[in-house]
Amino acid sequence: MTDLTAFTALGAAQPRLASFEALDIRENPELALASLALRRGSIRPAPFGLHLPEPGRWVAGQGVAAFWVGPDQWMIEAEGRAEENFAADLKQASPDCTVTEQTDGWIVFEIVSRSGRAPLEELLSKLVNIDLADFELGRATRTGLEDMSCFVIRRNETHVAVMGARSFAGSLWHALETAVSRLQT
Amino acid sequence: MLIPHPILGSRDAREFTYLGDVRLVDRPDPTGPDAEAAFCDYVFLRDNPAGVHRELWFHEQGDRSCLVVTRSTITHDILGAELARDFALARKRGGE
Amino acid sequence: MTRLSGGLVDRSQTLNFTFDGKQYHGYPGDTLASALLANGVRLMGRSFKYHRPRGVFSAGSEEPNALVELRSGARQEPNTRATVAELFEGLVARSQNRWPSLGFDALAVNDLLSPFFTAGFYYKTFMWPKAFWEMLYEPAIRKAAGLGSLSMQADPDAYDKGFLHCDVLVIGGGPAGLAAVLTAARSGARVILADEDFRLGGRLLAETETLDGAPATDWISALETEFESLPNVRVMRRTTVFGVFDHGIYGAVERVSDHLAEPGDKVRQTLWRITAKRAILASGATERPIAFADNDRPGIMLAGAMRAYANRWAACPSKTIAVFTNNDDGHRTARDLAAKGVHVAAVIDARREARARGDYRVIAGGMVTGSRGRLGLRAIEVSTNGRREWIECGSLGVSGGWNPNVHLTSHHRGRPVWNEALQAFLPGADGPAGLLPVGAAAGHFSTAQTLRSGAEAALRALTELAIAAAPPVLPQSEESGYGVAPIFHVAGKKRAWVDFQNDVTVKDLKIAHAENMRPVEHLKRYTTLGMATDQGKTSNVTGLAVMAELTGKSIPETGTTIFRPPYTPVTISVLGGGDTGPHFRPRRLTPTHNWAEAQGAVFVETGQWMRAEYFPRQSETHWRQSVDRETKAVRSAVGLCDVSTLGKVDVQGADAGEFLNRLYSNVMDTLKVGRVRYGLMLREDGFAYDDGTCARLAEDHYVVTTTTANAGLVYRNMEFARQCLWPELDVQVISTTDAWAQIAVAGPKSRALLTRIVDGFDLSNDAFPFMACAELVVCGGLRARLFRISFSGELAFEIAVPARYGHALMERLMQAGADLGATPYGVEALSVLRVEKGHVGGSELNGQSTAAMLGLGKMVSQKKDAIGAVMSRREGLAGDIRRIVGLQPVERAGKVVAGSHLFTVGAPQNLDTDQGWITSACYSPHVGSMIGLGFLENGDQRIGEVIVAANPVEGESERLRIVPAHFVDPEGARLRD
Repeated sequence: MTDLTAFTALGAAQPRLASFEALDIRENPELALASLALRRGSIRPAPFGLHLPEPGRWVAGQGVAAFWVGPDQWMIEAEGRAEENFAADLKQASPDCTVTEQTDGWIVFEIVSRSGRAPLEELLSKLVNIDLADFELGRATRTGLEDMSCFVIRRNETHVAVMGARSFAGSLWHALETAVSRLQT
Repeated sequence: MLIPHPILGSRDAREFTYLGDVRLVDRPDPTGPDAEAAFCDYVFLRDNPAGVHRELWFHEQGDRSCLVVTRSTITHDILGAELARDFALARKRGGE
Repeated sequence: MTRLSGGLVDRSQTLNFTFDGKQYHGYPGDTLASALLANGVRLMGRSFKYHRPRGVFSAGSEEPNALVELRSGARQEPNTRATVAELFEGLVARSQNRWPSLGFDALAVNDLLSPFFTAGFYYKTFMWPKAFWEMLYEPAIRKAAGLGSLSMQADPDAYDKGFLHCDVLVIGGGPAGLAAVLTAARSGARVILADEDFRLGGRLLAETETLDGAPATDWISALETEFESLPNVRVMRRTTVFGVFDHGIYGAVERVSDHLAEPGDKVRQTLWRITAKRAILASGATERPIAFADNDRPGIMLAGAMRAYANRWAACPSKTIAVFTNNDDGHRTARDLAAKGVHVAAVIDARREARARGDYRVIAGGMVTGSRGRLGLRAIEVSTNGRREWIECGSLGVSGGWNPNVHLTSHHRGRPVWNEALQAFLPGADGPAGLLPVGAAAGHFSTAQTLRSGAEAALRALTELAIAAAPPVLPQSEESGYGVAPIFHVAGKKRAWVDFQNDVTVKDLKIAHAENMRPVEHLKRYTTLGMATDQGKTSNVTGLAVMAELTGKSIPETGTTIFRPPYTPVTISVLGGGDTGPHFRPRRLTPTHNWAEAQGAVFVETGQWMRAEYFPRQSETHWRQSVDRETKAVRSAVGLCDVSTLGKVDVQGADAGEFLNRLYSNVMDTLKVGRVRYGLMLREDGFAYDDGTCARLAEDHYVVTTTTANAGLVYRNMEFARQCLWPELDVQVISTTDAWAQIAVAGPKSRALLTRIVDGFDLSNDAFPFMACAELVVCGGLRARLFRISFSGELAFEIAVPARYGHALMERLMQAGADLGATPYGVEALSVLRVEKGHVGGSELNGQSTAAMLGLGKMVSQKKDAIGAVMSRREGLAGDIRRIVGLQPVERAGKVVAGSHLFTVGAPQNLDTDQGWITSACYSPHVGSMIGLGFLENGDQRIGEVIVAANPVEGESERLRIVPAHFVDPEGARLRD
């Protein structure tokens, strides 16, 4: 392993964790990411046993998960494997596909509610223009958030992940923190 | 506006970047005898209809699909939307 | 005191407030207007043009007169309608548009000069000389005629925005809206109710009529409790739906804390973007006055407003009132006020067949033809069959009928339709799709009709959405008639106001008619009728009716004006959204941002990125010292610069090479694996667009870079090309800009430095020559990419590692290179280095330059097609003879200024003799003088010639020598070393 020190997207050695009245926001730097795109004539693979989801959806498997990004394109997530060359593993698992390392391209915020779905949905309604009635468990979408392009993933009823481009980390944190703190009053 | 994305359903128009007239798909043959004139039309000339217009919308803040959207420029009613990729492939298969 | 009994104010608590410095008190539930009336204040403002004394005219958001400055300090807010300003403890309000005081206003002299200020006055008077308009006329007019003043301080409050989605949006919380919500709520549909008032009920709050034999508030309270318990219903009070946008999108402003002295932790207002499958417009109706001579005195108000003040707020402007009406509704005011113990001096009903509905005097067939009272109404003149009498009263309620609030139905150019029986415009059939007008907004004026229409529309909407619903049991209520007669103004010689806010009178309309400004759009602009902040809510229809009468046409023939958003004024702050200052827009930070900050770097915004501009040392007092030092370090030792901002696009697929061939003007598919090639992109119109590098990591895998500025655009164009132009190619493009931290390691000692951090990788010139690339391992096991490319002209590399290690890698390189003189450099030095080397940058790639102009003509392959290839050969472009050159002052101390234009020595300096311009300029430590790059006619053939650079902005002119555009190592030996 390298002796260099990794810094999170928010610029610290340790990921940021902040607790608010009903919600926790956790920076998740441990998530490995790689995109997978079909090539001409390639058969839709099932890397690590994942059944690649349909448009607008996210599925979780054993330690890995995937969400749809665009036509014939998915993002594969692997919890706790950010330090590994996960893209290389994915390429091995789906050799006919285009695989691109994305781990450090994104900042991932895990937002968890401690009191049901309401505070989470109230927060999302301040941030993104998505119809929450159509945003149940297993939905994932990409949309604009304060002029940043972000993925929003419903991991479960009380857990949403928001992913933005890494260089926007500070601005995205500001947007989330501001919106959450306004929910409390 | 809401754009009826053929894969993702109704989406906020602000997720899209407007690319203009669908004829941008019909890039002229660069080897044709009148290539320069054809490109001149292609690059500079656009119809500006009051009524039904076919245009390209790029889902830049979404799934990055280019769509061909058929829209009335008078009422903003959207009459249909399809993936530009499918549209372009069909066009090419049409033998043009 | 004029506070009556009853009403919906909370007498258990007293609120203190001031108006023009004087202390008053009111109760929770009051508006500023109702509290002032209850304190006996009738005079609340001065009119816009004539500075006429004015009092409150309405009881809602249509108010044209009672505009005040609310709050103080930075929160001072002009033009606030007193009728919708909720009273709070410590409220401070001031009247506006008066000097020195509201009671004595010196500019009331305008009123005496009114014969000069009629319609078209400005157009006719201030015609000449033109320059005087901006300098003299406009400032003077603005000062005399106007509204409130701004605090001139930044708004201290926070604003928010949000997005809501629903099946049914109900706009308005009166009886029709409540019936609609009730129907939809019980069906389980997602319902949003938005009401501009702070209390639900709408007009029901202003009336005494009962529902199921009980006060209407009982029914409303029961509904509120029910709605509260339903998760599918969201009730938004203090929320105005101000506009209808395409495809069922509604704009709404929620005044979250306008009713508080200070917002505290809350936001002041929230802008909501509501996407609704169906919307029900229950916006009610607005009463209109009848215009008569001197009808603008404080105390004269809409009859329905007078009734609302009495019933809801227990306030009345006077102990003696009169009513002037052309319909049955006016009689309700008389009846209700009489019941509250107010003396009703008379009801003047313009209809001959009118009769009393209670114990008060009715003057049937009467007209009000005048009024008295300088700062407040004292008496009215009534004419009946040629007989005149003066009736003493402190307030007059006027009702000329009700105009449905059709505004939102016009937002997509829908045209309201005239209804002769109701003497009003009703929503047309061409309103926005999915928007259903109900209740008074649709011309249903009795409570029973209103309730029914709300419920029916909700059922219709739900049926269309395939949501099962049952009609609700509606409360028993009144089915009253209305009986409006078409009387809009009383003939007479004196001024009769139509538009109170903009001081437009019947006389002005006559002038517009006489001067042929008859089409409604002309009428409006010539007289300014309906163009004030109230958008003519109480005046437009009356104005039209008067014009119709003058032209002898019917009202529908005369036309109608349609409405645009916003329904009521919306503050710029809430439209501007939440963030101001540094968070105004999102910023992008490089992986080494914190490190650079710790080094004391000065940052510069480049697009959304914050980049280190230079790294000043303590002894350095001027930026040039830092930049010169950094530049020299690269030329003599080794410099380090974060170049992560360059766009990095992963291009893979069997046809990746062919795809890049078509994007870049030069050939890319012949590139060997492990090599990099400089690439030039053209726009389809043939001009140069962007430059960058293509590195081939594998047969089917390239990584291309773009300039920082064009990263997003090039990526978009790639997607366009892939999906729309060549969908048959097997290629995938994915942006990885943020995934990699990329650091330029440049200078003669760069190889020595990198050798210290790579893990067993041969960096020798043979193994890793100029324009080589590789994936490798550095710093004890970290995967990295290395490119041997140079922007500075020196031996140089760019090394990329996963972004999380960018900071540590920079630190490691600085440590490892300490003895080699490793120096961080910013974008300023980067720019100097590239100008010295003659590399083109954004100033040269400005959208007006061809490849040939840039000296890159050979990069446009003639053997293959690519975007822009055909058009680059067209005459206009191929014939451009300007070429890039280097420029150096003849005198060593001379200046080179970017933007200067180039002329032959001794030639006159004009457009015809212009030979080009300077694109980039800087001080070159290497040359020891200023240098520049520029485009010059036949420049490549004029090396050695002296020309003149003219900078007319500064009145400067400099003699420059033309040199090759490579000030450093023209043979390129250094970078191949």
